[in-house]
Amino acid sequence: MRKLLLLLALCLAPPLHAADDYRDIKWEALVPKDWDPARDLKALDFGKLQDSDPRAMEALEKMKALWDAAPTVPAMAGAKVRLPGFAIPLENKGGKVSEFILVPYFGACIHSPPPPANQIIHVVTKTPAGKLNSMDAVWVSGTLSLQYANTPWGSAGYRLTADKIAPYEEAKKK
Amino acid sequence: MKAVLRLAALSAWSRRLTLGLTLVAIALAVTLLLAVERIRVDARQSFTQSVSGVDLVVGARTGGVQLMLYAVFHAGAASNNITWDSYQAIATHPAVDWALPLSLGDSHRGFAVLGTSADYFARFRYGDREELRLRQGQPFAGVFEAVLGSEVAQALGYRLDDRITLSHGLAELGPEHGDKPFRVTGILAPTGTPADRTIHVSLESISALHLDWVGGAPVPGVKIPAEFVAKFDLRPKQITAALVGLKQRGDVFRMQRFVNQYRGEPLLAVLPGVALDELWQGIALLERTLLAVSALVVLIGLAGLAATLLAGLNERRRELAILRALGAGPGDMFLMLTAEGVLVTAAGALLGLVLLTVASNLAAPWLLDRLGVVLGTRWPGREELALIGAVITTGLVASLIPGWRAWRMSLADGLTPKL
Repeated sequence: MRKLLLLLALCLAPPLHAADDYRDIKWEALVPKDWDPARDLKALDFGKLQDSDPRAMEALEKMKALWDAAPTVPAMAGAKVRLPGFAIPLENKGGKVSEFILVPYFGACIHSPPPPANQIIHVVTKTPAGKLNSMDAVWVSGTLSLQYANTPWGSAGYRLTADKIAPYEEAKKK
Repeated sequence: MKAVLRLAALSAWSRRLTLGLTLVAIALAVTLLLAVERIRVDARQSFTQSVSGVDLVVGARTGGVQLMLYAVFHAGAASNNITWDSYQAIATHPAVDWALPLSLGDSHRGFAVLGTSADYFARFRYGDREELRLRQGQPFAGVFEAVLGSEVAQALGYRLDDRITLSHGLAELGPEHGDKPFRVTGILAPTGTPADRTIHVSLESISALHLDWVGGAPVPGVKIPAEFVAKFDLRPKQITAALVGLKQRGDVFRMQRFVNQYRGEPLLAVLPGVALDELWQGIALLERTLLAVSALVVLIGLAGLAATLLAGLNERRRELAILRALGAGPGDMFLMLTAEGVLVTAAGALLGLVLLTVASNLAAPWLLDRLGVVLGTRWPGREELALIGAVITTGLVASLIPGWRAWRMSLADGLTPKL
């Protein structure tokens, strides 16, 4: 009888590490809903501009500045999330990556202009994550926080303390 | 079973010469295989360990790998210098936490001379964010003072307060700055990184050295004695590269773009991790080829083993027939031959590991000196154990052939002399 009770208690107790502890999010969740980078550029009709047009150059500069100062979603601070992305290693500990940058699309940052500031996450792992090459796709689970530092680009930027890093696998279709 | 294995061992011992030679061949092949793997892993480790905590390496526009190679590993030559003004623009950028200027190009008896700021010793990190430690003395304070890497001091037998002369260019025969000797003020503790093979001086010292030099050669008739050097403006006009640390690492791409699109002159900023990955990708094909070739050598060794065992079968007809006559079954014959093959392979692998340890200990100083690769003595890693496992498994498969032959040999085969 006692054994049975114990078994029952075990079944009812909340699991210590539930799989849905981390909320799966998409990269769009990191962009404020009311952020409209195109607002300032609406006056321009890009279809009518030549590449060499000074107005086009100016628009490009403006675009870059907007991208650099892309705002974060304050509500995401402290959220336990899981999201996939491409890793660019920053720091190694005994052959294992301990810090890296996570970006949403392949080729971001290295071969093309970097994505907006709110689409770049600086990931710090609690325990080094194993081998990672540039642009390896991974699932990262951990706690998000906002960076606050005095830079010319404002306080934009996310940081994530990772509990778990797993190689990316395509979700199975049901 | 135990008796059969014992018989196999004793029988093998009685044919120790042939089997010994086969064993040596396998041992050498295994040594080669493991050496290729170990050098591969250790070379990566050495490179990865060389720099830590640096967000961007900045230099004149060139390839990312090349910039990384000359700025951090002092291998190869810089494509161009960058001006002090550009460096200042980067170093004082609000996103930048700290920056270290690097000026390369001079050497002392084959060791690179690095001109940098006095911050270098406090800021530079390697390995797992370890600091540079001075084993003796203190950092350079003034002009014509130098701090030696541990290996420089050891190889050239320098001690504190010794006077050394620097020469121009990396060649040992380059013209010397003979009139301006440097005093050794400090010696670094060993790090296992390029810092060990570097002589650190201040940027002002580098300027002072070249005061009476124009266009890479001393100007005839112009001599500025060391004691008058202080009267000149020694502020550096150009440097070779810079290491940059940011206030927050998430800004690294924005800063990289700021540098790459700097209007003043063409500059390049690379993330050390990304540049190293590019380097590995570049040499991955070479590594795989080397590994494949050494795997082939192991296969040849094991084929030799199978051949030796097969050839031995003919000589051992009597032996096997007597064993059969005494009651051993065909299965025992199979086990005996296979066990012999596996035994020789395993012994060969073990001997190979011992050989590798001895050889790497002997070669380590040379490798460090010539290639800057730190070869560690250690227990075999997971990859190496996997390789050894693969060798022994292949050895087992190779031994199955003579085993099968012995199994098929009939009882009467060895007892009836064929004429």
